[in-house]
Amino acid sequence: MRKFALTAVLVFLGGAFLPGLARDASASISLEKCTLCHGKPEFRKLLVDGRVRDLFVTGDMLAGSVHGKKGCTDCHFDVSEIPHREHPKRVTCTHCHFKGNREGAPQSDNVLAYFDSAHGQAIAKGNTKAPLCQDCHGSHAILKAKDPGSKVARGQVAETCGRCHMEIYAQYKGSIHGVALAKGIAEVPSCTGCHGEHKIYARNDPKSTVYATHVSEQCSKCHASVKIMGKFGIETEQVATYKESFHGVASQFGSRTVANCSSCHGVHDIRPQDDPLSMVNPKNVPKTCGKCHPGANPNFAVGKIHVDAKNKESGIIYWTATFFKWLTIGTMLALIAHIFLDMYGRTKRLRGER
Amino acid sequence: MPEDDRKDATRDAVAREIEAAVNEQVSGLPPEQADALREKIRLRVREEIERDLRARTASERREAARLAKEARKKEKLEEEGETFLRFNRNFRFQHMVMFSSVILLIITGMPLKFPNFLLSRFVINFWGGIQNSTIVHRIGAGMLIYFMVHHFLYTILTRDGRRDFMLLLPKLGDAKDIAHNIRHFLGKVPDKPRFGRFSYIEKFDYWAVYWGCIIMIGSGLFLWFETDVLRFLPKYALDVAHEMHSDEAMLATLAIVIWHFYNVHFNPDRFPGTLLWWHGRMSEHEMKEEHPLELEEIVARRARESAEVTNR
Repeated sequence: MRKFALTAVLVFLGGAFLPGLARDASASISLEKCTLCHGKPEFRKLLVDGRVRDLFVTGDMLAGSVHGKKGCTDCHFDVSEIPHREHPKRVTCTHCHFKGNREGAPQSDNVLAYFDSAHGQAIAKGNTKAPLCQDCHGSHAILKAKDPGSKVARGQVAETCGRCHMEIYAQYKGSIHGVALAKGIAEVPSCTGCHGEHKIYARNDPKSTVYATHVSEQCSKCHASVKIMGKFGIETEQVATYKESFHGVASQFGSRTVANCSSCHGVHDIRPQDDPLSMVNPKNVPKTCGKCHPGANPNFAVGKIHVDAKNKESGIIYWTATFFKWLTIGTMLALIAHIFLDMYGRTKRLRGER
Repeated sequence: MPEDDRKDATRDAVAREIEAAVNEQVSGLPPEQADALREKIRLRVREEIERDLRARTASERREAARLAKEARKKEKLEEEGETFLRFNRNFRFQHMVMFSSVILLIITGMPLKFPNFLLSRFVINFWGGIQNSTIVHRIGAGMLIYFMVHHFLYTILTRDGRRDFMLLLPKLGDAKDIAHNIRHFLGKVPDKPRFGRFSYIEKFDYWAVYWGCIIMIGSGLFLWFETDVLRFLPKYALDVAHEMHSDEAMLATLAIVIWHFYNVHFNPDRFPGTLLWWHGRMSEHEMKEEHPLELEEIVARRARESAEVTNR
């Protein structure tokens, strides 16, 4: 009896799944069929506007990628006939890439973050030039971001963004961060280090990591860390001194007009102080400060900008602070002592009267 | 007094009558019931008397209260005696301009020194953001500068100003007063020092404000007109001004909140404060306590003046 029940269940389950398996097998067109045409290196199409669209794809391209186990029609699921009757549509990654998917794609909400971002919003508004997933991550040879060969790997992502943001990429390449990136230094930020990965917003959007009042926070992620900065012999006191300065305090209270890190050091073209092209090179300081303080002159560069009154190296500023510190302590101690003596006397006299 | 005697006699007669009536009622009853009835009648009578009093005195009581209040006032006036004008109207005006400007400056300035303090954000937002609070700070600064100029002219141009300035200069006697006062606090001498128009406490306050105004206005103007200052001076001069402004602000605030507030508000003689800053007057009693020498001087001057009038 039990044997019969088990057999019945197995038969039932088999009946339920076998047609599905069979359908999968019949519906997916094998790789070999596609590469009959697409595997030819000269397989390309001349578009109406004169551009050439390369249609060359081999099985090897997909084999090394994260989608190595997928077939062509797993993504190009609108293709059912060869030759294609209709122009195949752009691949929709959200078919699998959403939180809770069962296809084995990473469980992440990055796709939602993307739709909220500046790029996603541009797409939603109908800007055909705005990037979709595959514009940054690549089409067939998609690798994990940690893989140095990936288009979105730390070393590669600047170039990927630079395909559209060309001027900025050029500036970045010349900057200290760009130079360090080219040297292969692991800690240096490329585009995504400051702007975020999927949650990229326009800089005048309060959600942006590079919104005026968020910039100092973003820079201080690395520049306040002795562990990171110590490797390169860069001081970390700039963050604290900025936060104590009027600029820093006003920024903390929400002023967007006040200077943040990038107002003086530049945005994508940040260069070390001794570089003549640097905005904070003493020669360029009058011009840099003059953006907000009209009539700035070379005197703006006489003396340290990120000055710390508690540091003995600050000279006269340190001595002023020390003088006032002791003046305050001395005066207040004397005054408080007088108050307590007064109260002591009053108490004593009251007790005497009683 | 015949009238009082007559009243007493009537009251006694009524009491006797009531007593007789009650006795008649309770006669024959057992003593416990008699006592209960007696008590009941007593309560009823008292109620009746009270109701009569209430009805009769509604208007009378108001009148009585008014008279009592007037009498108290008169008594108090006699007790306090004459009041003396210690600060003239001009001086009071200066003090008001100064304290309002200093309050403005402290509440708009301190958040910049302590941006992480919980209240700071609230205070800045109260003015509508840092952009506005810096404007309010400059309004306060303008008021303080006005006060400084006003006081300078007052000191030079008016007789009271010149006299007060001379009296405010520190003297050797102040050191003696301090020593004396401390011995007094410790119970070594029974009497406190006899102060003139300005005690050493008031002299300290005056010169503290003088020093504070010079430092704060000087460095504040540096920070206000930074670009113009940097035309002539290097950037570190501005940093020094910034440090001075920030540190002296702290010292001044502490001195005001702890020292000045103790002396004029929290001190048990004054708590919660007097209206001296508003009317400028001090009672004879207070003068005797706090400025006996000034009082003597005033009395002597009056005697001299009246003598002059009689001689003429």
